[in-house]
Amino acid sequence: MTDSSVSTPVTLSSERSLALIECGNASIGRRNDEVVIGISPAFGNFFTKTITGVPHVDVLRELLAGIEEQGIQARVVRLSSSSDLAVIAQTAARLSGSGIGVGILSRGTTMIHQKDLARLSNLELFPQSPLIDLEMFRSIGRNAAQYAKGEFPVPVPPGNDYMARPRWQAKAALLHLKEMEFIKPGTQPVELKVEISARQMSARPVVTP
Amino acid sequence: MSMAHVAGEAGQGARTSKRSQILEDRPVNLDGFVEEWPEVGLVAMDSDNDPAPSVRVEDGVIVEMDGRQHADFDFIDQFIADRAINPSVTERAMALSAVEIAHMLIDPKISRDEVIAISQGLTPAKLLEVAKTMNVVEMMMALQKMRARRTPSNQGHTCSARDNPVQVVAEAAEAALRGFSELETTLGIARYAPLVAIAQQVGAQTGRGGVLTQCALEEATELDLGMRGITTYAETISVYGTEAVFVDGDDTPWSKAFLASAYASRGIKMRFTSGTGSEVLMGGAEGKSMLYLEIRCILIAKGAGVQGLQNGSISCIGVPGAVPAGIRAVVAENLIASTVDLECASGNDQSFSHSDMRRTARFLPQFLSGTDLICSGYSATPNYDDMFAGSNLDAEDFDDWNVLQRDMQVDGGLRHVPEAEILAVRGKAARALQGVFSYLDLPPITDHEIEEVIYAHGSKDLPFRDVLEDLKGAQSILDRGITGLDLVKALEATGFRDVAENLLAVLRQRVAGDLLQTSAILDADFNILAAVNDANDYAGPGTGYRPTGARWEEMKRLRHVMSAADPEQEAV
Repeated sequence: MTDSSVSTPVTLSSERSLALIECGNASIGRRNDEVVIGISPAFGNFFTKTITGVPHVDVLRELLAGIEEQGIQARVVRLSSSSDLAVIAQTAARLSGSGIGVGILSRGTTMIHQKDLARLSNLELFPQSPLIDLEMFRSIGRNAAQYAKGEFPVPVPPGNDYMARPRWQAKAALLHLKEMEFIKPGTQPVELKVEISARQMSARPVVTP
Repeated sequence: MSMAHVAGEAGQGARTSKRSQILEDRPVNLDGFVEEWPEVGLVAMDSDNDPAPSVRVEDGVIVEMDGRQHADFDFIDQFIADRAINPSVTERAMALSAVEIAHMLIDPKISRDEVIAISQGLTPAKLLEVAKTMNVVEMMMALQKMRARRTPSNQGHTCSARDNPVQVVAEAAEAALRGFSELETTLGIARYAPLVAIAQQVGAQTGRGGVLTQCALEEATELDLGMRGITTYAETISVYGTEAVFVDGDDTPWSKAFLASAYASRGIKMRFTSGTGSEVLMGGAEGKSMLYLEIRCILIAKGAGVQGLQNGSISCIGVPGAVPAGIRAVVAENLIASTVDLECASGNDQSFSHSDMRRTARFLPQFLSGTDLICSGYSATPNYDDMFAGSNLDAEDFDDWNVLQRDMQVDGGLRHVPEAEILAVRGKAARALQGVFSYLDLPPITDHEIEEVIYAHGSKDLPFRDVLEDLKGAQSILDRGITGLDLVKALEATGFRDVAENLLAVLRQRVAGDLLQTSAILDADFNILAAVNDANDYAGPGTGYRPTGARWEEMKRLRHVMSAADPEQEAV
């Protein structure tokens, strides 16, 4: 059997910090030049990184940058009512003035959705969370923005690694179960203000005797 | 070693031993392992949350099962109580202790039929309790006796990462020649299915007449290809152990049973699929152990009247594989399917471990005991072409498998085939498909493609096809209503009369209906081997299936064996 080049575990620590400030219930956008990013119940709070250790702050930063570089606005909402990616992505799409939404789970699984598609359909799906790196997140943001402009971008190749299962499947199950603990049934999507700031790298922790 | 060495200096990496570093770098440490979490079902087979066995029958109807009253049954309980458990024997069977039943399973003096007379009355919780009394060696002893078909066999995967039908026809021919009795394919691009399914069928009948083929797809399309006779069996009809997960897939046990009857109506072999870990992976395990939920699936298959089940965790193997005793639970799944008299296609079909040692240990229980289909299936291509996301074994393991068969004198269903025969059959199969495509006005196959596929290892070695033209061709197969008989005509008209005759003989089985018998496969002479005419008669040492005669002589051959007569030569 050929051993594939398995994705190395990246326990990255970001140079940035993330603040997600709740600003009330999310409403449907009025401008058609926006993409809404829907994040899962524990994204960026209980969980701080994806299944392979990519920091959530950098994930959001790349998604936002990918969208903004196309001249499109981005909003971020949190769904606490479900950890089902199709539900999150479709809800984001329905809140989006352009009808295009991106859904993302804490472990990194991502989907681009369009508001008129059936829930279990999608524009693009990235089912193997361990294979999604920052470059892919940026491309996903870029493609979502292009859909919002009415363009037809070439789908981002989702990748395939047949050794992802032995390495990551059980962790994916564990992360899914953990995320489910943060579900608050019946709650409305909440609008988030995203603050990404550079960390003070020079500061040394103060140790009190 | 001082504590300073163990802990390291603050702010610097801790010093580790050279041995730890070597162990750290071993492939097994790339595998994922997690702690048990019984409250959500992340536990293999030993959980306090599983129900205690019980049964009560009133007026010939099961009104209480595993501590639940009839009014509180969920639809799986209801289906199992009404359809899977024999109410006339259940109270007597349930009165036996789990240990007594486990003893019956491993005692060679107690026949398979005697065990089945009891097992048809056991509830899910009781079957779980029986499994919990057994270690892996006992399970293997039981599996050896409880397998339905006397002769073990094997299933292969023949896919292409590019969905290239020219590759699939050659791979199917080689796989059939190597000994697989069933072949399964699936697609990267689902719309390619008709072309690839035709390629697999033509290849299989070129390699060895009588090999059965299937194409794993969305259920309606899979049924359509079966009804047309482009495929000859089906396997990917999934069932689940909790109501929530079942409903999530818009299904019930009754809808699955209806689908099963659709296959039966055309004489097409089919089995269900299930496996430990699926419910917890979807967050719907309701706090029950993986094996308890899988036993419910096994009994759903039994209750639906299908002849068999593919289980052994299957695509969720990373989940039981990550928890303590997970692989023991996977052996138990196969054993229980066999114990309730189902054909068992016993997994070993998905990438499982980075460690060669661990993935070998994974398949030894099924390989050594023998099951109806040891792998379901074995990737007969390199794993990068296996569109089921990789198998536990692939084409690069063929020689290892053949050596293990010879070492242990255990029949794993395969054989060594000399290079010249393989090249010949790959070429013939590709030319047969070239003829079929030409006859049916499908996108042409060039002589260059044929030349390349004869010598290729995988899709990376092959010229690209025009995907858009192929997809148009695939659609036209559906639009024009092309069937297996059209393939027979095309093969006959283009000079492949022997392949045409093989395919026709397989299609004739749809009318005979013999492939609906438990564990049915076809041998090279188109004889059915099934639990009715090749019933497992294992009754201890000196009985049951043992490779002998021509088959054992075949198993002795390997790529390199020194001649005893002339050690400077290789034996042939």
